[in-house]
Amino acid sequence: MTETPPEGGGKVENPRQGGDYAPSVAARVAVWHKAGGIAVPLLTTILAFFIGGLVVLATTGKNPLTTYKAIFEGSGLNWFLEVGSYEIGIPWTESRVWFPWDTSFNSFAALNLQQTLIVYVSLVLTGLAVAFAFRCGMFNIGGQGQYLAGAIMAVWIGSELPGLPGFLHILVAIVAGALSGAIFAGIAGFLKATVGAHEVISTIMLNYVALWVGVFLFGLGGPLQNDNEGGESVPVSNDVLEESKLNVFWGDPLLQGLHVGFFVALAALVVYWITLNRTTLGYEVRAVGFNPEAARYGGISVARNYVLAMAISGTFAGLAGTLDILGWQFRLNTNDIFINSIGFVGIAVALLGRNTAIGVALSALLFAALLVGTSTRNLDPEIFRPELASNLTTLIQGLVVLFVGADVLILYLFGIRRRARQRQARTQA
Amino acid sequence: MSFRFLLRLSLLAALIAALALLAGCGSDDDDGDASGTTEAPAATTTTGTDTGSGSSGPSIRVGLVTDIGGLDDRSFNFLANQGLDRAKEQLGAEGRVLVSRANSDYVPNLSTLAQQDYDLIVGVGFLMAEAVETVAEQFPETNFAIIDFSQAAMETKPANVRGLLFKEQEAGYLVGYLSGLLVAESAGANQTISSVGGQKIPPVDRYIAGYQAGAKAANPRVKTLNGYSQDFVDQAKCKEIALNQIARGSSVVFQVAGQCGLGALNAANEQNVSGIGVDADQGFLGEHVVTSALKKVDVAVFQTVQAVQDGSFAGGEDSVFDVASGGVGLGEIAASVPAEIVTKVKQVQEQIAAGEITDIPETVGSG
Repeated sequence: MTETPPEGGGKVENPRQGGDYAPSVAARVAVWHKAGGIAVPLLTTILAFFIGGLVVLATTGKNPLTTYKAIFEGSGLNWFLEVGSYEIGIPWTESRVWFPWDTSFNSFAALNLQQTLIVYVSLVLTGLAVAFAFRCGMFNIGGQGQYLAGAIMAVWIGSELPGLPGFLHILVAIVAGALSGAIFAGIAGFLKATVGAHEVISTIMLNYVALWVGVFLFGLGGPLQNDNEGGESVPVSNDVLEESKLNVFWGDPLLQGLHVGFFVALAALVVYWITLNRTTLGYEVRAVGFNPEAARYGGISVARNYVLAMAISGTFAGLAGTLDILGWQFRLNTNDIFINSIGFVGIAVALLGRNTAIGVALSALLFAALLVGTSTRNLDPEIFRPELASNLTTLIQGLVVLFVGADVLILYLFGIRRRARQRQARTQA
Repeated sequence: MSFRFLLRLSLLAALIAALALLAGCGSDDDDGDASGTTEAPAATTTTGTDTGSGSSGPSIRVGLVTDIGGLDDRSFNFLANQGLDRAKEQLGAEGRVLVSRANSDYVPNLSTLAQQDYDLIVGVGFLMAEAVETVAEQFPETNFAIIDFSQAAMETKPANVRGLLFKEQEAGYLVGYLSGLLVAESAGANQTISSVGGQKIPPVDRYIAGYQAGAKAANPRVKTLNGYSQDFVDQAKCKEIALNQIARGSSVVFQVAGQCGLGALNAANEQNVSGIGVDADQGFLGEHVVTSALKKVDVAVFQTVQAVQDGSFAGGEDSVFDVASGGVGLGEIAASVPAEIVTKVKQVQEQIAAGEITDIPETVGSG
């Protein structure tokens, strides 16, 4: 987002040249990207947690560090700290090898971590959906709608077509789900490219289209409502067929273990990075994002890139919905459609991750840990009241988004100090 | 200059150290826990609740998992929690409530409690049915109960699950009887009562069927209207339907639509007709709410905890709560209702409890 060289952003002093060294604009940008790019999100997060801590203190009177520790443990990330001597099975073989962490059911941390990583999968993908459009200079608020489009398609394909071999069935469902996300987002890109309709408005409106289409399809009397025995009064879809469920590679498949979609999310991060940084398409997308006029002058079709960037964004979000359905959810209830907000959390993920692959990977982990860690099953009621627990996530989430927007302020404060220093140096001289 | 550079570097280092400290807090205790026993997380969650075993039976541990409605839904999650609170107070049970924020929470919430060897795990609401079934199969030694869903309707019919069902039609019959008498008293020639349902799902259907049957039994000349909002949240929708019904002559409005239905009661207030609340006693809304049809989820939870405690709990079947057992009934009746009507309604309540009125329909026919 902030591509202008900030006033004194980062450590640009060169000791060899003394105080008069004036870095070039390019050097400043480079340093900003390296140092400021990490420091500001970090500061943002710390500030958000600090203020969240004050709120905890004010509302509960308990030590906020105890609460944060409980959230940390609830997220299962403490699993990595419980190093010991255990064994792990090698896939497709009977043999077991030594492993430093306990992967068995004895470890509660492992169970919590599985839940965190399940949420992580969808957050990475919805985060990328927002980030990719951002790099093309567009704000995709429609991650939720594109996620739903993918989920609806996946539940339909997954519960139909019996007899298709499992692998093929999953593939068809994933492709169809991702594609419907792409088309759904592509509409917004197309409207922007052709008639200049602002993508913020059109994606927000498309969110409602997806929501109500889902409610219509699975609601009472809807065409895709379940045909279970006695199910005509329940507004839910059919379950996806056994063979189209994703393999669970860690944990109990029946108790919501971690599915192989996890690797798809990791692969998506790599694809995102390669597409943006190592392909012509990515170059064009970024060029349009920096300055559409200059890109057009340089011979890049801005309209084409708008449509493509939105479609690729939608692919990520659609994939998130698909993997959630095939990985653990297996059905869609109209209530789920209303309650779900994973696509909106994706916006916060992309903002905090500064639209980079590594940034999204890290901030998605933060938000997934927060979402799962603040679940009441992980927070001792003695430490934090169950009624308030989930609001804490929303609070920290809101603060993070607020401070990400306020990074200008942080840079400004840096700038004041720098100028003061320069003045001081001058008077000393 | 290089001094400044060092200063800034040390600042950064301090920041990182602070972060590490934060993480370190977590790690220290974890190592302690892990070296002790793998069950440590279970132990920590129950510390400090080991008190109050003042009652007769052994102290048992009860887990309650709400659906996405949350604890302050003023309806059955709220009531279920009240039942648990009462069990804690009177039976000395230990209780833990897990609020589900998304449907992805259902299975982990239920299985976490099961893993921690809770004696009874209650799932609230029919949305939890599939999750309860799955988890119950994985933990066949643990007792489960589910509100508003029949164990017999589960695919695998797990033997450790008990369904807690309600005869809503009996409560509906009572408020219908009261309304029938009320319109006979006041409305003259136009004797119409109405109901606003959320969706045509079984519990709603039973309430309304009972309501219409009760009104007809009290007053054969009564005309009934009924409409669905297709929504349990948006009050405007229910209000609109109720206003329409009142315009068509209805002088009693029975809401069966949760939060949405509060809009129907609001319409009754504005148009100066009577309203009837549902599930919880909604008389607190004002004098226009003449009574409420109660569904005592709290009683169901309390009695189930009691059954587990004295060893009489049996899975593999359903408990049905009715007027006779006090599981459904009438809320407080407003002072504006004439005393003879109250007496008659109480008589009908006794008749139902005694099993003298049995042919109350469970579904609403057309019209």
